[in-house]
Amino acid sequence: MSRTIQNYVNGGWVDARPSKSIPVHDPATCQLLAHCPDSTAADVDVAVRAARAAFDEWRSTPVLVRAQFMHHFKVMVEERFEDISQIVVREHGKTMDEARGEVRRGVESIDFAMSVPVLMRSDGLEDISSGIDETTVRQPAGVFAAITPFNFPFMVPLWFLPTAITCGNTFILKPSPQTPLSTELLFELLNELDLPEGVVNLVNGGVPSATALMEHPEVTGVSFVGSSPVAKIIYETCTRNGKRVQAQGGAKNYIAVMPDANIEASVSNILGAAYGCAGQRCLAAAVAVGVGDAYDQLKDELARQVSELKVGYGLDETAQMGTVISDGAKQRIESMIAQSQDEGADIVVDGRGLQVAGYEKGSWVGPTLIADVQPNTLMATEEVFGPVLSLMKADNFDEAVDIINQSHYGNSASIFTSNGRHAREFKYTVNAGNIGVNIGVAAPSASFPFGGQKDSFFGDLHGQGMDSIEFYTERKIVIERWI
Amino acid sequence: MASLNTFGAILSHAIELEARLCEWYESIGEVDKARAADKRRRKLERARRENVVEITLEPIRGLDAADYALELDDGAAASQTAVAKVAARFYADVAPKINVRAAQRTLERCGKEHIAQATG
Repeated sequence: MSRTIQNYVNGGWVDARPSKSIPVHDPATCQLLAHCPDSTAADVDVAVRAARAAFDEWRSTPVLVRAQFMHHFKVMVEERFEDISQIVVREHGKTMDEARGEVRRGVESIDFAMSVPVLMRSDGLEDISSGIDETTVRQPAGVFAAITPFNFPFMVPLWFLPTAITCGNTFILKPSPQTPLSTELLFELLNELDLPEGVVNLVNGGVPSATALMEHPEVTGVSFVGSSPVAKIIYETCTRNGKRVQAQGGAKNYIAVMPDANIEASVSNILGAAYGCAGQRCLAAAVAVGVGDAYDQLKDELARQVSELKVGYGLDETAQMGTVISDGAKQRIESMIAQSQDEGADIVVDGRGLQVAGYEKGSWVGPTLIADVQPNTLMATEEVFGPVLSLMKADNFDEAVDIINQSHYGNSASIFTSNGRHAREFKYTVNAGNIGVNIGVAAPSASFPFGGQKDSFFGDLHGQGMDSIEFYTERKIVIERWI
Repeated sequence: MASLNTFGAILSHAIELEARLCEWYESIGEVDKARAADKRRRKLERARRENVVEITLEPIRGLDAADYALELDDGAAASQTAVAKVAARFYADVAPKINVRAAQRTLERCGKEHIAQATG
């Protein structure tokens, strides 16, 4: 009998009171790892009340003390780095390198939060009128929540939690019920930090708990990362309930490859961009647009290198690509590949039906390369969220940019070129939130904002960077005169 | 033997290599060399933890752990030199394949230490 994960509320582990729970499987071995409770609105209410009760004392805790907690937290995460990475592999199916990379980027977000004492400072101006001074102060805004996805179960919560609480807010995390185990460990570490009770809270579950967070009157703001349809719902629900919200959605990320690019080196990087985390990331390269003569070279080199990728269990260090998250995801991805074939595309490398020895029941989809994809077809327009890279052809740079800008998504886009003018034009004209030049995964580091455009983002302030300081604080203007 | 085809596979192999050397040097009474191997192991663990860069993770080709098998036998001077040479060759081969400079530098330094041991 597998254990059921608990929630963490008001400084302690508590049982949720759900009517059902969600099984958590290792997607490679199919081993049942745990059950995740589908927490209810009542469970959320307890957590929000705890967070609200903790807020007044926590906001008045000196910011340097709050930042000091992050120093200790970072040390704890570093000490458990390998354990965390292994849990991420087991619950998600990615490779060890990918899991370590995820944990490292999570640590970078903790590093960023240590800068809050500097970043929360504001400005002022003397004598805006005779003898009158005006200053701005940033204050924490209350109780914040984050609803986070399965694909980066440890990293994405850390985009939000460290900065939110170091700014003086209290916090509730609702992780994906598919991957709740690394966040459970995250909260075990937070528990050891001895933060005041109620500053950080964990509510496990699915839609009922997410909805309850968005509708709870004591929640000030919500951060979300997931698919675009859900991001839109989150945005609409939160704004309807008077909350600030940052909702990061899905993507269809294009890569333009110019004839002047170093094709072999570009392809090595594109492989990581397309097939890293089995394509299950919002910055995954989905479509490579070969410009002019680059198309055929790109197709041949990709076919060669894709065929050499080793798919395997993530805990095997030699695996270069792991599983997708579930059998349902596998079926959906394979169905999209079939539909693409029906639309006339050429399946150059077909990952359907892949078996990995010793893990025959795993949710495997091999790296897939689809050529001759036409505009307005499924593979050119819809997010796959799997290890599928499509190839399109453009006659010239302008046509490539047109293809990219036609997408209703705008999370990221990259160009591979050795021509500075093309790189500059690409940065200037492509409508995406993150631009890569000879980088396939244009992932902003923690001190820069992370967010897309168009249907890839709903809200104003992005996650990370100074945007996160803005999101987690309220600005107050003080105008004073002494008479 | 496993292929050294990822950042993690290479760093983990290096860590394991130094751990084995540490144990071996201890067993043959080479305390200073054991201490040096253990220090390298800790540096490599740190490099694996801190230098894994998601956006530049790329497949690595052409390296196999079988090419760097260590023969840890009686601990005679000649054996120690041979072992240090294998380790130095391993680091010389893998460092250029790593595309993160900080990790590459750690591997290069480990290689230099083994060269110094091999040449006395």
